[in-house]
Amino acid sequence: MIEELREKVKKLLAGGDVELVIGWEKGSQPLSSTPVFIDSPEEADRLVFDSTCGNNPAVYSTKDARRLVKAGKKVGVVVKGCDARSLSLYVAEKQVKRDNIVIIGVPCRGVLDSDKVEELAGGREVLEYSEQDGKITVRGKDLDLTFDAKDVLSASCLACIYPDAKEYDIFIGEARDGKPNKEQNAAIDEFEKLSSEERWKRMEEIYSKCIRCYACRNVCPSCYCNECFVDQNDPQWIGKTPEITDTMIFHIIRNLHVAGRCVECGACERACPMGLDLLLLNRKAAREVEERFGYVTGIDSGEKPAMADFREDEKQNFIMG
Amino acid sequence: MVRLEKGKFDDFIRSLAEDYIVYAAVTTGGKSSFKVVASAGEIDEGRLLTDRSPKEIFFPHSEVLFEYDEDGIRETEKAGKPIAVWGLRGCDVKSLAMLDKVFGTARQMPDNEMFEDPYWKRKYDNSLIFGLACNEPRSSCFCNWLGGGPHSEDASDIFVIDAGDVFLMQPVSDKGKAFIGKMTDAAGASAQDEKRAAGASVAKASGADEKKAAELASGARAMMAEPPDLDGLDERLKGIFHEDIWEEMSAKCVNCGACAFVCSTCHCFDVQDEGKGGKGKRIRIWDSCMFPIFTREASGHNPRPLSRDRFKQRVMHKYSYFVDNYGESLCTGCGRCVIVCPVGVDIREVIKRVLSFEGKGAR
Repeated sequence: MIEELREKVKKLLAGGDVELVIGWEKGSQPLSSTPVFIDSPEEADRLVFDSTCGNNPAVYSTKDARRLVKAGKKVGVVVKGCDARSLSLYVAEKQVKRDNIVIIGVPCRGVLDSDKVEELAGGREVLEYSEQDGKITVRGKDLDLTFDAKDVLSASCLACIYPDAKEYDIFIGEARDGKPNKEQNAAIDEFEKLSSEERWKRMEEIYSKCIRCYACRNVCPSCYCNECFVDQNDPQWIGKTPEITDTMIFHIIRNLHVAGRCVECGACERACPMGLDLLLLNRKAAREVEERFGYVTGIDSGEKPAMADFREDEKQNFIMG
Repeated sequence: MVRLEKGKFDDFIRSLAEDYIVYAAVTTGGKSSFKVVASAGEIDEGRLLTDRSPKEIFFPHSEVLFEYDEDGIRETEKAGKPIAVWGLRGCDVKSLAMLDKVFGTARQMPDNEMFEDPYWKRKYDNSLIFGLACNEPRSSCFCNWLGGGPHSEDASDIFVIDAGDVFLMQPVSDKGKAFIGKMTDAAGASAQDEKRAAGASVAKASGADEKKAAELASGARAMMAEPPDLDGLDERLKGIFHEDIWEEMSAKCVNCGACAFVCSTCHCFDVQDEGKGGKGKRIRIWDSCMFPIFTREASGHNPRPLSRDRFKQRVMHKYSYFVDNYGESLCTGCGRCVIVCPVGVDIREVIKRVLSFEGKGAR
């Protein structure tokens, strides 16, 4: 698979079809590969793809204007299913011209939650990582452990509905169809059973650990405002301390702002240095949007996003109470 | 050097807590930080490095400087029990000593008054720091690049080595010597004073203990890769300030503040007033040069508009500007930034790239 990816990327760059390809390369930490920008065929061998590729590379196609080649030049982006949804969202939201990107899908089997791996390793440092046929092996000093990949996958991946790109230009291997299934997330079912007081308490438990570093926001492909409301100081909308009220305001507003725009890639949760369960509210919002508006984010770049559309027949019970 | 049997560790912590507010590594929900403890059972001893940096003991994420209402201004309480920190790794001990240069050094203000930071000093000056040797450094550790080492005693009051069944304690500072002296005196007087005896369960270390300590130290040092020569890094950085290399090095950085907020030496802060009606408070809050708002001026102009500029600032401050001001790098090689960076920026790779850069301005 990886050879095929590298060959395809070499061809794209050599033929001048793209100026740049965004993907992943091996990083210094065994459990996380790191984003890489490939601009010549000789560099393409740096590309890797496996369960350590947790970042959503789509983020660089809007955030990093320096990297997004000026108008008319094409960029290739190597994508998992969720990353591809981000690109489709960008096209729908007119952030990226479809003609300017070459979407290179890779078959995703889910990405790691490194906290889960470290828990299994029981405090011993993981120095080597390998995977084969759904099994993951980690090695280190006094450590040689093999386990099922599903035991350490990110929460986002365990309930993933589109592991492979729905919209793509090139796919390495064969893309599987997605299975939209809003029933498969037990965590949200549980959350929905709670009373509003209990939900609030649950949210307070989650967000009280936040240190306001904004890693979640900055790795989020859907958070691309030129200026985030937390960075505005005239007027200043929100206090800057990690005091729970302000922290909750940040997370709740972010949640509402990405409702109908979140592709549930889980990059936020993997980025969080404090291990916050950031997906819970986002997935709850995604379910709400799907139920109320029949919209699933990033599946069809031709469809108007839920928040940019109005249909006469859509449910309005939230307005009427 | 004295020895404390681990069986008596709980007594030791309980006794320490009588005279000090004791901070130690505590893990809750899978993440660790330095928290106030009353007994040894609460301490996560196996943890090499806490997820959150211990700077927050003395320089919290947000700290109320004073409160005000119609009756006037009230400064935050100055007095209080002194702080003891158990189990700080050498890198973290050194970090606090660096921060003390920033906050604890008296400097002349424009009105010619001398000023030193009272909020820092009231806590740090009376503190008792128990450094803890790293017998097994992580692959992300690079203290030996910055003049530290897994068994470095620098800036500890008392340096502790975990030698299996016992903690070996080496007094380093005068404060540390006085503390250990008191403990050994108490050990002698234990027959008369039962309460004191509980905390004074130390004995003089044997020759075998000293040998074990030396073995652990050399073993730990051998586990760390040979460091590159950072001599002249500060000047080299200045030389390449305007080069394109920053574009390449910062390309994947997303400008979040995770590195700065877990960093044990990053200390930039913002001051905010939170008030309503006639009352409120002034708060000092961690800030980060990674955020665009950090340097945005009232006019809207931002001297560091690009991601690249902010990335460069963080590197320059650590390895060049701080060297100008204080004679050493503002980094102790704890490696927390390497571990948490959500996009895999490894500061060691950045340093190596700067060292190997041969373009314009390199020399």
